[in-house]
Amino acid sequence: MRRTNLSLLTIALAIFGTSIIAGHPDWGTFMGLVILLIAAGLAVGALPSRSEQNIVIVKERAANQKVSSSLITLSSAAILAVYAAGYYRTESAADGYLAQTARRRTADLIVPGAVVPPVATPGIQATPAVRPSSAPPLRKASPKTSSNQVSNAAPPPATSDDSPATSFAPPAIRPPDDQPAEPAAPVVRTPPGKYKDGTYSGLGSSRHGDIEASVVIQDGQIVSAEIARCLTRYPCSWIVHLPQQVVSKQSTKVDYVSGATESSDAFFDAVAQALSQASE
Amino acid sequence: MRSLKRSPKPVSDVGYLRSVALMGTVVTIHVVGRGATQETIRYAAGSTRARYPREEAVERAFEWFRRIEECCTRFEAGSELRQLSAQVGVPVPVSAILYEAVQFALAVAEESGGAFDPTVGYAMETRGFNREYRTGQAVGTGIEPGGPVSYRDVRLDPGQRTITLLRPLILDLGAIAKGLAIDLAARELRPFENFAIDAGGDLYLGGCSPDGQPWAIGIRHPRRDNALIDSLRVSNRAVCTSGDYERPSPVEGHHILDPRVGTSPCAVVSVTVVAPTAMLADALATAAFVLGPAEGIRLFDRLGVDGLIVSPELERHATRGMSSAC
Repeated sequence: MRRTNLSLLTIALAIFGTSIIAGHPDWGTFMGLVILLIAAGLAVGALPSRSEQNIVIVKERAANQKVSSSLITLSSAAILAVYAAGYYRTESAADGYLAQTARRRTADLIVPGAVVPPVATPGIQATPAVRPSSAPPLRKASPKTSSNQVSNAAPPPATSDDSPATSFAPPAIRPPDDQPAEPAAPVVRTPPGKYKDGTYSGLGSSRHGDIEASVVIQDGQIVSAEIARCLTRYPCSWIVHLPQQVVSKQSTKVDYVSGATESSDAFFDAVAQALSQASE
Repeated sequence: MRSLKRSPKPVSDVGYLRSVALMGTVVTIHVVGRGATQETIRYAAGSTRARYPREEAVERAFEWFRRIEECCTRFEAGSELRQLSAQVGVPVPVSAILYEAVQFALAVAEESGGAFDPTVGYAMETRGFNREYRTGQAVGTGIEPGGPVSYRDVRLDPGQRTITLLRPLILDLGAIAKGLAIDLAARELRPFENFAIDAGGDLYLGGCSPDGQPWAIGIRHPRRDNALIDSLRVSNRAVCTSGDYERPSPVEGHHILDPRVGTSPCAVVSVTVVAPTAMLADALATAAFVLGPAEGIRLFDRLGVDGLIVSPELERHATRGMSSAC
């Protein structure tokens, strides 16, 4: 509607301008030209609005694109919303970590001496690397119980090796301070969950060697599932992603590989095996 | 006393690294940086307390995975997702996690024309994806839609933060939930700048790798073990790959389903997406798998993300940004 008005005005101005040029040769030429110029300007202004029908489509696509790129925005917003809503609950996990740190530190002091690998595989000696995962059952308290956990942590999640059916000789990595005075037999309270409480270990194989997983069950729930040991020539913590060996055959060096990798499966097999003991 | 033979590259040189089994996969978090991370906080009263910011942050990052798994798993009758599925036709107030995940899933469904659809839960179940990964036990939800369902059968109310299922259906947030967990973990680790999160081959790379360069990422070859089909360098990006080699269906096909026809698509063997967030990358990888190479690349271009799609003949279809990155 505005477009038609504008066009009408343009036409009117053009006619007016031409008639002035024609009617008043002395002064009209200049004025007429000015008026014509104004008309031309208006016409140009009207032009974009003349293609408004096309614009609708263009606009729609632009809007679409906005929606699209806002998928990126939307995902970021979602992350922030969840993050903001849940920050305090994860705080307790960090506190759980802190609570365990002191014990672990003392454990660390003693561990090196205690490391006498039952199976003489070079990999185990990578103890510094193993360390983070040798103690973890301890600090893997679920957030809700983490504070109580500190006080009664000793019996159930004690070590990764008091499981009844380990395929290994008792592993050497046994943080001494985790060893409560009473024999750490898997504590079997009748749990509400589907597993018997205790710490179980299982073994998974990959072509790089075996991985031992340690699974802690509390109140019938899986509290943690971590790598306990690696009988490989790689440090424990590296075993599950090991892009190095993938790449050793190629010239490029990569840090990580996108797409499920096989060494993770070994860990998973180990966890499944540990759990099969827990549910028996 | 036997001498301890150390690994050639001590871990302390590359940072702090931990792996935990979570969400049906192995999650590794890696924070770059060397040296002690202990920090001493002095209180006004004169007492001090040691803190380990890096270790604590990693712990919090893992906690996000646990929380999101707890909320969004299809395999636990007590999970919020299952609770939601149990109520049809009524608005159900849900947590921020579930609401945001579903909202985003619906947005991707809309954007991909239904190639991605979070309501495939039932179809997945009937195709044998009904096993709790940790136990191998079959877990049925006992919910039968009694007809085809789609993402249009889910309604959101942003004001009340409720979700209404118009018909009996099972939501499957697999891809989205894992992506969201990665993103939240990344958010948690942001102060450390240089870090990597690897959740079973779905990655988020923050900053630079230990060598000071953007992270070098290999993309697994879909047909050859231990080989890469490509590699690229990224920083502050999520890289997610979906391949037909993972989790084959016991019935037929693999773990990705075309929601529109109910079978596994076969025009693609692997899709890799590089995006600012893992939830987007993961969802789009699934969508492109269904859409096929040509449409998939068009979708990536339209959304402003990069991607690589590999066809069964091992033809590579890539967005322009991706080709230049390699």
